[in-house]
This record gives sequence, structure tokens and C-alpha cells, in this order.
Amino acid sequence: MSVDIVMVGFGTVGQGVAEAIGRKGAILQSSFGEKMRLVGVFDSSSYELNAKGIDPREVLARKEKLGKVGARLDGSTVPELLADFDYDVMVEVTPTNIKDGQPGLSHMMCALTAGIDVVTANKGPLALNFKELAQAAEKHGARIRFEASVGAATPIINVAHELLVAEKIHSIRAIVNGTCNFILNRMADEGLPFDQALREAQELGYAEKDPSYDVDGIDSAAKAAILANAIFGRECTFGDVRRVGIRGVSQEAVALAAEEKKVIRLVAEVSPSRLEVAPRLVPTGHPLAIGGTLNVFQIITDLAGEVTLAGKGAGRLETASAVLSDLAALMRENCVAKGRELK
Amino acid sequence: MHADLRLKDVPGQLVRALEPISTFGGNINGVVHHHEKVIGGRISVNVTFEVKGQKQLEGMLQAWKERDVDVAKLSSLFETYEFEYVLAGDISPQELRGITEGIEAVHDLDSVELRYSVSPSTGDKAVLVYGKVKQKAALDRVDDLLRQRAMDAGYLLIGGLGE
Repeated sequence: MSVDIVMVGFGTVGQGVAEAIGRKGAILQSSFGEKMRLVGVFDSSSYELNAKGIDPREVLARKEKLGKVGARLDGSTVPELLADFDYDVMVEVTPTNIKDGQPGLSHMMCALTAGIDVVTANKGPLALNFKELAQAAEKHGARIRFEASVGAATPIINVAHELLVAEKIHSIRAIVNGTCNFILNRMADEGLPFDQALREAQELGYAEKDPSYDVDGIDSAAKAAILANAIFGRECTFGDVRRVGIRGVSQEAVALAAEEKKVIRLVAEVSPSRLEVAPRLVPTGHPLAIGGTLNVFQIITDLAGEVTLAGKGAGRLETASAVLSDLAALMRENCVAKGRELK
Repeated sequence: MHADLRLKDVPGQLVRALEPISTFGGNINGVVHHHEKVIGGRISVNVTFEVKGQKQLEGMLQAWKERDVDVAKLSSLFETYEFEYVLAGDISPQELRGITEGIEAVHDLDSVELRYSVSPSTGDKAVLVYGKVKQKAALDRVDDLLRQRAMDAGYLLIGGLGE
């Protein structure tokens, strides 16, 4: 018995997932009685499909040595190549596209409409087409899991769905972009102007050359839209999020906040009535005043009160950890459905 | 809230009368000491103060009783809700006036203060807007007003976390 996985996307996250499968596959097999097998890998220009299984270490070595994973795509699309291929789970980890969600959206729809489960870290399709994806999954008896799309290694979605299932969640306030947090923290700690703190973040590899995705709140807004759909059942998209970035945060504003024993943080707030990403004044010592590049989620519930989760919100193995937890959850459900004993 | 306290006319009584306010987390806004107004051997002191809630007020009343401080009058307790914003960007004096007048016109406003700051080195401007309202719904009115003004004038509005 095996769970056969096709991985679409083999950049930083995809390679991390392959490594994690190689490292943890045996543990999952002993727990759930099924072998986790990689049977397909796609990168942007090449692919390998092998029903007998692909060794994760071999495909990682090939990617490093040759810059590709297998045969050239030569104009063929992922849905075309998977049309007659037998597999159980698509791991969709292509880069986020917040304009139209492609190509990830087509990949996920092709899997779900064929009754194939999807595990993804790709925010774009979820932030833009959550309802369509959920409906496709339901209609075709497939499952879609996306823990890695928000907070990476910080398990906000699964905690909300599975561990806080008896709670009424009033709201979630969160720091979901480590780059912005790093910049705002440097401005407060060192008195740096925004441009200099941004340059530092770019030199350290936290921010891209074009930082707008982070500093204009686009990344945070995509995550807020996913949380609104997944946890609050709101039918909204990225465009519904009221969004203000951190470009206008000045040294003087940071200093004025500090005089009031506050720091400025880019906070995503999601509730049944609020959907917003904006810089906010946070009291020092508050869980959201966290420093560095960590992500933090403050969940406000009726019975448990405030529950706070913090962890790494990005990174190769950190994101892979969340993907692997979703794969494990699917295997656990399979195990229960088939009446096998969980170990 | 306001309290009319009656103290024995001997040295040290004023401090003994005011101590319970800070002990129970209150904030004294004003004290008027009427030396000339002696009633039954006691002098009158009017105190204006803020208190966190009913429980803390009851603690103060008990402490005054234990210290032999009579409470002649006590205004009713009403709850206030704080708002706090930092504005960053090019904010003109006219805009500051507009913000102040706009907030002062909000129904159920208790108080509002603005603090303006300009960096001598960069010329960056920032304004702290702090205040209190007597009804929770008034927080939304202040928020709507500031959001609209920030959007129209093109400066950054940084709000507090609220509750």
C-alpha cells in the first residue's frame, strides 16, 4: 500500500518537500501503514513521471547538477501530462501568482476534478479562488489542505480546524510577513529610516529586489483572505482585503510610538466583520510585538480566551514541514477510513 | 468621576485621602482643596479622577472609610473607551485643526489630545492622536473620520489594536 505523490513545482519549497519525504517517509509509514512515494515531479521546464517511484535524493541531485528534474516539457502542460497518470495526491508548490493564480490554479483544478487530493503552499489560487477550489473538491470527493500557505511551519489552520473545533473564534490578529517585521523592528531598535532597513533586509535575503509583494502588504493580504475563507467561512478574495503597507512608516512615527511604549507592526486582522492588513500600534510586551522574522497569530476565542501561536513563517524546510503535516493528515484519515490501527 | 471628600483639618490628611486612588489603579485629574470651607470640623476636597471599574471604586470607598475620610458626594461611574493613532506623512496645520474639530464633534467624546512631532534632521512629521469616548460605538465614528481624512489628505494612519 502506498500514497503516490506528484509534486508540481520544484523550487525552494518543492526541493524542501522532497528532502522531508526522504527523511520522514519511513516514520509516516510506520505510523499509518502506507508508504509515501514520490511518483512525479515537475519543475518549470521539465518533468519525470514514474509509477514505480522516484527516489527523492536522486531527483534532488539531478536538479542540483543539471538544473532540471527530467525530460523537457516541450510545450506540454501539467494537466495534459497527468491526464492518464495514476496517483493519489498532488503537492502543488509552484510560485504564488496573485494576479490570476496561474498556473497553480489550473494544476489544482485538474487534480481536484479528477478526485485527486491536493496539498499546497501556493497562496495565489487560494486567495483568489478559494470557493471554486473548495466546491471542486467537494463535488469530486477530493480533499484540499493548505497549512503551508499561511504561516509556513506555524500550524494556524490545522489548530483552528482540529484543536479549537469546539471554540467560537471571534477574531485572529497576526503578523504574517517576516520581512515587514524585520524592517519595522530594525527601524525601532536601531532608529533606521525605512529605505535603509529595507536595503538591509534585501542584503540578508529576507526581501526581494522588488519588495512590493512584502512591504505593500500583498503577501499579508493574500494570507488574510485565506484565513477568512478557511476559518471564518467568509466568501472573499484577496481584493476584498483592506490593505495598507509599511512604506509610509517614518522614523518619527516609530519614535512617537516608542514614547507611548508601543511598536508599529504590520497586522493582519480577520473576523466575521473585519478583513484588513495595516500598520498598527502594538504595546511592547504584547504577543504581536514579536521581533525578528517570526510569524505570530493571536486567536481570540469564546472559551479558551486568547491563544497565541508563533513560529517560522517561511523557509525551505519550515514550509516543507507544513506540507508534510498535511500529507500526514491525509494518511491518518485514510488509515481511519480503512479501519487500520493508528500507531 | 468626581468625589467631594471631607477630611479632618490636620496635616497629612490630604495625602491619606488621595493615596487610595493610586493604590487601586486610578488616575487623578484634578484636586481642589477648600481650606476655607470647614463643615463640622472637616474641610472639603473635590477630586476628579479616573477609575478602572466598579471593583476598584469599591476598594477606594472602603479605604476612605478605614481612613476616616467622609465621602459627601460621588458622581456616577461611567465607562470610557480609549483610542490612539499615530499619523505619519505630510500633515498641514489646517489638517490638524480639521482632525481636532472633527473628533470634538463626535458624539460621546470624553477627551482628545494631539501631539505633533517633526524630526529636525529629516523633516519627518508624525502626530499622536489620543482620546477617550463614553460609548464604544463612538470609537467607530472616530475611526471612520480619521480613515477618511487620511485617505483624502494622503498620509498614513496607524491605529491601535483596540480591545
